[in-house]
Amino acid sequence: MTAIKYLTRYRNIAPLAVFRMAFGAVLFFSCCRFIAKGWVDDFYIHPKFHFPFFGFEWLAPMSPAVMYLLYSLMAIAALFICLGLYYRIATVLFFLIFCYAELLDKTYYLNHYYLVTICSFLLIWVPANRYFSLDVLRKPRLAVTQVPSWTILIFKYQLLIIYCCAGLSKLTNEWLIRAMPLKIWLPAKANIPVLGPLLKYEWTAYLFSWASALFDLTIPFILLNKSSRRFGYFLVIIFHLLTAILFQIGMFPWLMMSATLIYFSEGFHLKLIRQIRKIFAKEEEPAMVEQYLPVNKNLQHTGLILLGCYFLIQLMVPFRYLCYPGNLLWTEQGYRFSWRVMLMEKSGTCFFYVRDGEHGRKFQVNNADFLTSYQERMVETQPDMILQYAHILKQQYLAKGFSDPQVTVESYVSLNGTGSQLYIDSSVNLADEKESWFAARKWILPYKNGGAK
Amino acid sequence: MKSKNIFLKAAVGILCLALVFFSCSKSSDKPSPPGPPSGTPDATLTNLGTNIILPAYQQLSTNTASLDAAVTVFNSNPSSGTLTDVQTAFKTAYISWAATSEFEFGPATDLFLTTHFINSFPTDTVTIRNNVNGAVYAIDGLGNYAAQGFPALDYLLFANGTVTTLARFTTDANAAGAKQYLAVLSASLKTKAAAVSNAWSASEGNYLKTFINATGVDAGSSLSLMVNAYVQDFDVNLQNFKVGIPIGLYGPSVLPKSPTKVEGYYSGLSDQLLIKQVQTYQNIYLGGLDDKVAATSAVNNGQPLNDVIKAELTVLLTKIQSLPEPLSTGIINNSTAITDAYTEIRKTTVLLKVDLSSALGIKISFQDDDGD
Repeated sequence: MTAIKYLTRYRNIAPLAVFRMAFGAVLFFSCCRFIAKGWVDDFYIHPKFHFPFFGFEWLAPMSPAVMYLLYSLMAIAALFICLGLYYRIATVLFFLIFCYAELLDKTYYLNHYYLVTICSFLLIWVPANRYFSLDVLRKPRLAVTQVPSWTILIFKYQLLIIYCCAGLSKLTNEWLIRAMPLKIWLPAKANIPVLGPLLKYEWTAYLFSWASALFDLTIPFILLNKSSRRFGYFLVIIFHLLTAILFQIGMFPWLMMSATLIYFSEGFHLKLIRQIRKIFAKEEEPAMVEQYLPVNKNLQHTGLILLGCYFLIQLMVPFRYLCYPGNLLWTEQGYRFSWRVMLMEKSGTCFFYVRDGEHGRKFQVNNADFLTSYQERMVETQPDMILQYAHILKQQYLAKGFSDPQVTVESYVSLNGTGSQLYIDSSVNLADEKESWFAARKWILPYKNGGAK
Repeated sequence: MKSKNIFLKAAVGILCLALVFFSCSKSSDKPSPPGPPSGTPDATLTNLGTNIILPAYQQLSTNTASLDAAVTVFNSNPSSGTLTDVQTAFKTAYISWAATSEFEFGPATDLFLTTHFINSFPTDTVTIRNNVNGAVYAIDGLGNYAAQGFPALDYLLFANGTVTTLARFTTDANAAGAKQYLAVLSASLKTKAAAVSNAWSASEGNYLKTFINATGVDAGSSLSLMVNAYVQDFDVNLQNFKVGIPIGLYGPSVLPKSPTKVEGYYSGLSDQLLIKQVQTYQNIYLGGLDDKVAATSAVNNGQPLNDVIKAELTVLLTKIQSLPEPLSTGIINNSTAITDAYTEIRKTTVLLKVDLSSALGIKISFQDDDGD
């Protein structure tokens, strides 16, 4: 009962409003940047084939005009989220379009896209537009100052799960003892100003590895604790700015820096809002009477139970890798949706062969005829995509009149500098291997650490 | 009225705020722009740019200019003597191309000095004949890429032996057209090579400086551009087009072998071009990539990766040097030396594309993208 009380007691809405604005702003620019860089073309229009997630093979990109329209709509929806304008419609629209784009092709999967999916989903269910928003200006009766605390807590808990899972995934021999892949990535940056000279030393890679694991595991708690919060956010800025300087990770640092603002107290957020208001309005804000968000108790309880289930799933999904044999970094079974960020330097190359029927001629396929270079790079190191590509080849050659095209692959992968080794059993006819939700992929060869230190 | 005012200002303000966000994030993941050197210079880039890439382009520029001059002499007085001169100049120029095809980034891509325009083979003999016979064409037009460059010259200057070749430019009904097309082809090569050489040179475009200053390994850094181009040239041009397709490893064709699809088929220059190309790969690797790899703990089968790559490039060169000449005849005769060399090329492809790139943290992809 006390848990329910804790979750439903009223809290000031300010942190939610700031979260909405900051996150919406980053999403808006993320969308604009995506369009401006020509990625709608590169990712969804140019490729001849796509790699939809399992169960979503029925999805396909629409015409170029529609894809651009969807991305523009998504950008507008993000802006509307930021401004709190037609908020519910904007969040639902953003979430749906973003999911659609993500499910179309796993080539482009990034942890921070998953983060965006999740946070935009959670935003649908909270009244983040009912304070300091254009919706409130439009309909003043919407204004509230107090909301049930779960509407704010869910974001804090979600971020806690993300950081902790990211931290736990770093507690490995590779990360802590071999300092991989930072031992590869940091020296590559040895020519940047100021920090550069430090990066060529091996101890720097160890320092960064250990410090980042420690950071991930402790930062949510430092932020939750009132007395250490400011220091914690300072660490958040340092950490994510460092990653922005050192790695090519796009919007991720900005997303995290904006999202973690949620941990601050309502006092902080009220002050922040007052500052923002000062920029636009000459007169002081009229003293706001405490206004409580009306809630339907039964609905709220059902919602809380559903949220409980949601968080249970969130806690379990990152650990599903335990059900699979082999080295997780090598097989990648259970790798996605698990907050495993920058854990490996993995590259590969694969030579696909097609044989016409049992005894026909075997020949090699030019991957560039079917895939973009980006897709090719992703196929090369990810077994489920290797299988999908084999199925694409099967379909293509069936259409060309082959009776029973057999697809095999000679594939080499190097993981964290341990040297190229055969990745997939090259005797298996992948054309006839089925993909499934959870079954282990038996045609992945075991990983051998070839004497690497 | 009051509320409308706030409405407007709020919108503007948040836009500004977000703009700040955007510009910050943009600068953080943009490829290093040309400009003043940031941080310390990279010895590998300095050496590769100054001592390998720029001289290779200068050589190509000189040799294509000589070729163009020889074409002019030949066109004014076609004889077996002047034909031999053009053919010699052609061979020299073509071989110097093999020392630059590895650098398809920056000026080379901007100025069309790419494999697509310069070295598409097998050459499109139908279009060449049409152009010679007076068809309207644009040299760099959409359908003309395979009817130009060295393979087109290879065809015009060597196909069907000396007698037929001389006739093509003297007694043939379209001899004038052939001369003109020959001149256009060599002039186009000369112009492109000169343009790229100038773009790199310190006294003109000075891309050399841009190249040296763009350190790091992100998309847009020189190392990433160069290794990507290097690996692409090796994987696609050398492995697939120059050897794999002629020996019949690609595509479900009825004929298992296509000896006429080798590079430099008409002049029989295939072997020398391959040798030059592999020597260039070796020079590039030993030009500083070796130091970078040696500085890592990367291994291959328990051996230090640098030693493995160096040894492999030497083995590969030896195998390429012992290929039968001309390559097309060797293919018809089922030469095991060629299949051996192909196996070695395959091994090297894996080492360069997988081991080398991952040891240095360079993503092999020709796409600017985000990671996480």
